[in-house]
Amino acid sequence: MVEGLELLTGKAPKPHKGEAMALEDGSRIAVIGAGPAGSMFSHFFLSMAETVGLSVNVDIFEPRRFCHRGPAGCNHCGGIVSESLVQRLATEGLSLPDCVVQRGIESYTLHTDVGDVEIATPLQEKRIAAIYRGNGPRSSEPVDTQSFDGYLLDLARNRGARVIPRLVTDVRRNEDLMTVHCADQFSDSYELVVVATGINSRLMEMLENETAEFARPARTKTFICEFHLGRDVIRETFGPSMHVFLLDIPRLEFAALIPKGDYVTLCLLGDDIDENLIDTFFSSPEVRDRFPGGVIPGHVCHCYPRINIRAATPVYGDRLVLIGDSGTTRLFKDGIGAAYRTSKAAAKTAVFHGVSAEDFKNYYAPLCRRIDNDNRVGKLVFTFASLVQKSRFARRGILNMAANEQQQVDGPRRMSGVLWDLFSGSASYTDVFLRTLHPAYVGTLLWNLVAANLPRGAGRIGRDAERGDDHVRH
Amino acid sequence: MAGLGKEYKAGEVIFRQGDTGNCMFVIQNGEVEAIAESDGREFRLRRMGPNDFFGEMALFEEETRTATIRTTKPTRILSIDKKNFLGGIHEDPSLAFRIVQTMSHRIRDLTDRLARYEQQQ
Amino acid sequence: MSATRTRHGGPVELPFQVLARQSEKMPPCQARCPNSGDIRSWLGIIAQRGRNGLSLDEAYDKAWRRLVEFNPMPATIGRICPHPCEDLCSRAEKDGAVSINAMERFLGDWGLSRALELPQRATERFPESVAVIGTGPASLSFAYQMARRGYPVTMYDKDQQPGGMLRHAIPDYRLPRTILDAEVERILALDISLHSNVEIGHDESLQALRDEHAMIFLGLGAQAPKYLGIPGEKGPGVIAGIGYLRQHKDLDEIELGAQVLVIGGGNTAIDAARSARRDGARVTLVYRRGESEMPAAQQEIDDARQEGVEFRFLSTPARIIRDRDRVRQVEIQGMRLTEPDADGRRRPEPVPGELEQLPADSVIVAVSQMPGWRAADLGLDSESWLQADDEGKLERGLFTGGDDLGPGIASRAIAQGRRAAESAHAELRGLAPAPRPRTLRITHESVRTDYYADRPRSQTPRRPEEEWLTDPAVEIDLTLSYEQASEEAARCMSCGLCFDCQQCYMYCNPGGFTRVAETRPGHYFVMALDLCEGCGKCIELCPCGYLEARDTAG
Repeated sequence: MVEGLELLTGKAPKPHKGEAMALEDGSRIAVIGAGPAGSMFSHFFLSMAETVGLSVNVDIFEPRRFCHRGPAGCNHCGGIVSESLVQRLATEGLSLPDCVVQRGIESYTLHTDVGDVEIATPLQEKRIAAIYRGNGPRSSEPVDTQSFDGYLLDLARNRGARVIPRLVTDVRRNEDLMTVHCADQFSDSYELVVVATGINSRLMEMLENETAEFARPARTKTFICEFHLGRDVIRETFGPSMHVFLLDIPRLEFAALIPKGDYVTLCLLGDDIDENLIDTFFSSPEVRDRFPGGVIPGHVCHCYPRINIRAATPVYGDRLVLIGDSGTTRLFKDGIGAAYRTSKAAAKTAVFHGVSAEDFKNYYAPLCRRIDNDNRVGKLVFTFASLVQKSRFARRGILNMAANEQQQVDGPRRMSGVLWDLFSGSASYTDVFLRTLHPAYVGTLLWNLVAANLPRGAGRIGRDAERGDDHVRH
Repeated sequence: MAGLGKEYKAGEVIFRQGDTGNCMFVIQNGEVEAIAESDGREFRLRRMGPNDFFGEMALFEEETRTATIRTTKPTRILSIDKKNFLGGIHEDPSLAFRIVQTMSHRIRDLTDRLARYEQQQ
Repeated sequence: MSATRTRHGGPVELPFQVLARQSEKMPPCQARCPNSGDIRSWLGIIAQRGRNGLSLDEAYDKAWRRLVEFNPMPATIGRICPHPCEDLCSRAEKDGAVSINAMERFLGDWGLSRALELPQRATERFPESVAVIGTGPASLSFAYQMARRGYPVTMYDKDQQPGGMLRHAIPDYRLPRTILDAEVERILALDISLHSNVEIGHDESLQALRDEHAMIFLGLGAQAPKYLGIPGEKGPGVIAGIGYLRQHKDLDEIELGAQVLVIGGGNTAIDAARSARRDGARVTLVYRRGESEMPAAQQEIDDARQEGVEFRFLSTPARIIRDRDRVRQVEIQGMRLTEPDADGRRRPEPVPGELEQLPADSVIVAVSQMPGWRAADLGLDSESWLQADDEGKLERGLFTGGDDLGPGIASRAIAQGRRAAESAHAELRGLAPAPRPRTLRITHESVRTDYYADRPRSQTPRRPEEEWLTDPAVEIDLTLSYEQASEEAARCMSCGLCFDCQQCYMYCNPGGFTRVAETRPGHYFVMALDLCEGCGKCIELCPCGYLEARDTAG
């Protein structure tokens, strides 16, 4: 018996040995959910199918409209397309249009109680995209911008995918096919069902309740909100920089303010973010000082999206595959990048190999495993980061090292690189971790720890912090 | 503010033939021309617009630029790191498909031009 | 949004909460229906039958029962109502209003074909007898609502057959007699006795009736035609619209002559013009304003034109020219519309010198009706409309409704009869008058029409045009098919009431919505407010506007 997700296995006839479960001309594929995973799967699947001369139909089930402002048209995330994903999409010929990019980000500014440091991209180039998943915050003015998810869905639509504005409430095995059931009692059968609902929908819970051997992804609560500050204020106070906070707040793993158009998005990640934590965060002077006059304005839109912190198991079955957050994703960072990778791997498997559990096991699951393994390292890295957050001593050292590197024109930027990759999700956690083990990194860090913590020490940051300066800009 | 990459004015040179470099570029908007320089004379090889890329050879082989790239109007260009690119190819070789396809077109184009050139000689 | 002082002294806005509330609102169809028909409810029974465990037959039965709570004659009203309910349907701008009128007709015919019985409201029987004068729609509605509440009802009509204007003024091609007869009979079957050919105030006095009955309902209608008051109008060859329609229906032959002019722009004028075509005459309809100002329904105008009725707009008769007694010509005064006045109305005014003689053998004047009841004994002024309170009460034990309160459509008359019955019942039983339900109306903005998949409006089947004039009794519009009706019901967006789209349930992160065990239209989920995280997503996703934000002051 092939391991894999057997929704209501009772009646699933196994193909005879040697008989491939492959797609053929006229095959029908249902994609549930038009977030990045669903749309990118459809786009890549249809273009690969075209390349090999396979004529198939893709139906994307998505009841929501990404043209709506506010939470109804939004897929709830911080809205960062990482450096690596921006580059990969551009390589695929999918350069993000200007109307989708709310702001090009060219640096990270790290804020701590002992000072700030700005870490710039090489070449002063805007390499990270701040985007809106929907069409901007609640009650925002209609401007000439487009939802990121809407853009990707249009790509899929232009490739020939059909968008069915229905809410899927159940997926069941029916003879040798999969049947998709919708809230309005519509149902239809498909040769392959691709679950890309993310985890902010109840479908995964329903699948779990119905299927003994399936465990949906583990989730935790995050917080995202939008502040309206206006374009000019944002240009002056935030610039094309993402502002990351390293604060000693329990359960808070990552906090960032991301400038976009007329709004700034706040994104808090960690372990079950709640109102007390948010209140503590807003009360920190490092945070308040980011806002004009030290006053945090009321936000216009907020949500507590769930994120995937442990992958679903299994992520495939005969004629069934889970992609994006529904299956596995990167811990905290670059979820859209993971959606890209898993959707493309699933598409390749379906087009070039087949749609049996065996096929997905051989050609899709390895990628998921790689991501899961990297997340284990990621947990370690974030544990280390939270130790740093707890220690003023360590914060000074790290800040000092990064600031010194940013001052240099040439020379290795070990700390900057580590921080950059950690914040931007541009490199794997394993890669980040290995670099922190480099003797040169360790040595320089030790030196900076000492230097930054000497009384009136040589470290520049220490002095600045005591003067109360906000920025260390170079 | 919106938009990715780096802004260039019209007439700026992105890189020169013979420069070393280790990244590829994708045009976000605007236009560039590829120029071959020989004996102090310039030959325009091609013009390129949004979504087109150049400098791709640096990703695969020696890191010397084979042509000069100059903008013809205000242009925004995104660079693709060799490291990032090769990492991507390693996981997903199909990432290189479009580049291979375009390079193949360019070889065909150059072959045609060469044939025409030889006929003229 | 609450502002607190933090320990750092600076004001910090705590996350504001957009808390949701389930709130049923009145849909535009119901708000526009004079009878406040709960249209969404009976369409919902059909559209949501699957999830509530009903077969289509059962759903149609149940929908019919819901429909006749308000209107005991759906097959009739479904044929003749100008359906204002459809005007503001949220679907209108998208892909056409839900065909509510055609659905009502379908269910009406369904009820007749299945011989469904009108639902009683009480098993109790009361001794107080009720008299109803007149048998038009208001009277029938009143009688029905009283009989089903347990009162013995006696109806009186000066004519042989019941139905009032429904019988006498609506041509057969719009309302076949068999349909009307069947629906009236079904009402009369509810312990109602009918005394035909009895004119109260003439054959019997109102006082005698009041002595005999505990409650009287006057459904006198507006039966006196208005004339134009122009030279040559009095005499043979000039007939009132309703008078003509009645003759057309009751007599085998009417002498109209070859050329008929119909004066007026309302439905009676159109009915008269189309009937005259069926009597074989050439017909010109003369109206003082333009086509777009005509009160008649556009479909009726189009059909009349299709049948060969000619139209003279911006024209009004100035005098009727006779040769001895016979009508020969009508002199027509050309009109124009003034610039819009303060109310935006454009009034017709004569264009000096623009006069024309049109040949005519007879003239049908269908401009309006007046009260004009023949009932000195009633102590009523036959020249003016009755004045009743909102419930139709004239005095203790005496209610009214219908056109004697001023002209209106049949749905309004049915509503007035129903409300009068509710009030009369309360009076007889010493109950406090039931307060009119005050329901918030849904706004167009809160219905997210783009959520709903496109479903074009069902085409009402029609008889082929070449058959229209072959027989005056042949019906032109036909009834939706069994399948069409279910498709059309599914087009209802259920504005302002949950229809189980399940988005709130599926997308609420903390799982704040729980499905109820026993579902029914409008009742699918309960909300746990203590789980609410205040993001407001459910409200913004709710396509029908059922979920709304609570006012949160602090």
